[in-house]
Amino acid sequence: MDSLIKDFEKVAKRQRTLKDETSKTLDALIQRLSETKAAIAEGAGPTACAKPANEAKDLAGKLTESYKDMQSVLYKYAKSVEKRFKTDLDNIWDPRAFDDKDDVLCRTLAIHFVREGRFDIAEAFAAETAVQIPETLKAQFLEMFFIQEALRKRDIAPAIQWAARHRGELEKRGSMLEFHLHKLQFVQHLVAGEPLAALEYAKANFGAFPRHLKEIQQLMCSILFASKLSVSPYANLLNPHLWTDIQTTFCRDFCMLLGLSSDSPLFIAVTAGTTALPTIIKMSSIMKDKSGLEWSQQGELPVEIPLIDAYRFHSVFACPVSKEPGTEENPPMMMPCGHVICKESLMRLGKGNLTSRFKCPYCPLESTAAQALRVHL
Amino acid sequence: MDSSKLNHEGLLALDQPLVKVPLEQLKRAFRSSQKHVEKEMAAVSAQLESALAKAAAKPDEACSAIDATLSRLQGLKRKLAEIKTEEDLYVGRTKLRLEHLAEMTRISSADSEAFTRWSKTRLSRILVDYMLRKGLSTSPAKLAADSHIEVAPAHRLDFVDIELFAQSRRIEDALRRRSCAECLQWCSENKSSLKKMKSTLEFSLRLQEYIELVRARNLPQAISHARKFLTPWSDTHMREIQQAMGMLAFSPKTACGAYKALFDDGRWEMLTEQFRADNYALNSLTLQPLLHMTLQAGLSSLKTRTCYQPPTRNINCPVCDADTFGYLAEKLPCAHHVNSCIVCRITGRIMDADNPPLVLPNGQVYSSWALQDMALRNNGAVTCPATGSTFHVSEARKAFIM
Repeated sequence: MDSLIKDFEKVAKRQRTLKDETSKTLDALIQRLSETKAAIAEGAGPTACAKPANEAKDLAGKLTESYKDMQSVLYKYAKSVEKRFKTDLDNIWDPRAFDDKDDVLCRTLAIHFVREGRFDIAEAFAAETAVQIPETLKAQFLEMFFIQEALRKRDIAPAIQWAARHRGELEKRGSMLEFHLHKLQFVQHLVAGEPLAALEYAKANFGAFPRHLKEIQQLMCSILFASKLSVSPYANLLNPHLWTDIQTTFCRDFCMLLGLSSDSPLFIAVTAGTTALPTIIKMSSIMKDKSGLEWSQQGELPVEIPLIDAYRFHSVFACPVSKEPGTEENPPMMMPCGHVICKESLMRLGKGNLTSRFKCPYCPLESTAAQALRVHL
Repeated sequence: MDSSKLNHEGLLALDQPLVKVPLEQLKRAFRSSQKHVEKEMAAVSAQLESALAKAAAKPDEACSAIDATLSRLQGLKRKLAEIKTEEDLYVGRTKLRLEHLAEMTRISSADSEAFTRWSKTRLSRILVDYMLRKGLSTSPAKLAADSHIEVAPAHRLDFVDIELFAQSRRIEDALRRRSCAECLQWCSENKSSLKKMKSTLEFSLRLQEYIELVRARNLPQAISHARKFLTPWSDTHMREIQQAMGMLAFSPKTACGAYKALFDDGRWEMLTEQFRADNYALNSLTLQPLLHMTLQAGLSSLKTRTCYQPPTRNINCPVCDADTFGYLAEKLPCAHHVNSCIVCRITGRIMDADNPPLVLPNGQVYSSWALQDMALRNNGAVTCPATGSTFHVSEARKAFIM
């Protein structure tokens, strides 16, 4: 990349100097031509006329040369671009799985814009493609972005109102959002130098959260240090991360109650694809050399694609003995020792007999196939 | 294998149009200015030569010849200034784009804030590309101008090639109006590159013009058109030309297969496709939108055998949504995994040695953090979310999944 940038810098520089050079040379050229004309008009001798004329010819030649020079610099850069980017993107994997699905793709785009809070783009896009955006979805995300914007400005009230309205559902899902919002409000009173107001606030609100008893105790204790919170053991209450974290938590919980993912699924899928494509490109070039077989039609990609942990949404079981993936017909089974292998491997170890004893491949314990328990991951 | 390590080379390869498009444009602009300069400079020298030759005999003529040259030079100056503004645009754009790519090569982990930011910019870019290819104008312009791309507003538009698609849309619209002129003009502007690509677009356009003349029963003009524009292609397209001449004997309503196909209106749609393919190739753009490629790869790498089934549905998994991405992923292959990776269905976290999987007596597996948290709140009782049965947390056993 660096050498490419260096090559390009040369192009940019030459282009700049060529610009000045051209206008200077052209001006000089015009000057010489005018001089030649004047000399001819005066009827000066052939040598007097030829002098500016020859200079003009030299200038013309020089300018042509300068352009040739620029051409070579530009082509050098073009060559290094060619060298750098030679993958043929048109011949990589294209299973054409989206044929006739363009309307759904458009709908996902429209939803993506709504989810990102770019309502005007969503509107424009919907108008241009005749895609319908569900009004309820729009209203829900308008509310979410309104509350989030308030949080960004450190205004907690709208978020607290929302959380109180959905207290039951949030608690069922183990969310601690509401308590953390109250906590921030409490700290805001402290920061504003109103320990009494903080105390009142605590009395009025913390009672609803017996689960957070320990944290409430700490918060109450922090009142003692209200005047010098930043140098107290409670300095972490002032951490600005608490504010960015609460925005993330709020959005996640808000989406969770709607039954939606916290990140835009389009972003997740495209980001996963961006990191997956290099592997797929490499694979497809190898596969093509081999036999040109159409592996995209098979049930599984032929190569493992690295995924970051955050993008692992489902358990995947691969039998440590046979390396086969777990399926409904060949499910994962746990032996009494706790080791899990697939059913086929289990039967093979027991030589097809449910009651014959065999040793676990991973520990000394012996058991029978009948003792194994089917597990759901 | 470290799954969060970024493959910089591979990622750069995906974004080659980003660098190649402005390079092609810059090359084209520069070539045209160079052509002007070379032509005019040669003319200046020649003019001076002849002016000097007749300076003594006919000074008036010599002077007016020089005047003519001077005014041509003024014209050249103007033209070069115009092209220079265009060149400046492409140079500035390339600089920003190279910087944008270089930024990515400095990020080492896929699991980092910096990469998320970069990916958001990239997503906006490929969405704009997709929308432009669909022929939209308002929404992609809005997205390009007001995206979360964290650079100065004036630079945002530099990551997408709106002008290129605007020009292509003009030509496509013309073809849809049954006019070949605009597309032919484009062909002549890019003559040498098209020749290098062995493009037959120009022949197809000329043939279409001929067909339209035959359709209008304007036969003499059709014949002279064929003589002028089709015969230069006789080396490579003799069969098509013969067939085209055969058309003269048939009426547009003919039922005869080969000629019916030539008279068919669908040919215009085909011309549009051909133009689009040649235009993309000429500008190093991919034939398929990058969004298609990336999304297919992404959905496939996320897709598992358990995606569509209600008990294992995960709201964060795009493929699990059967109405949108699940439908798009229908025909795609599943991801391939050599090693087990167990994700807790309650917390969504990956289980490992610190957070080992526990098996309830009914065979359902959850992470120990999830079960312990549930037990803490319910006096040791845990309720299996999948089946609704309740157990005591001490009944859960550790499973070893390798």
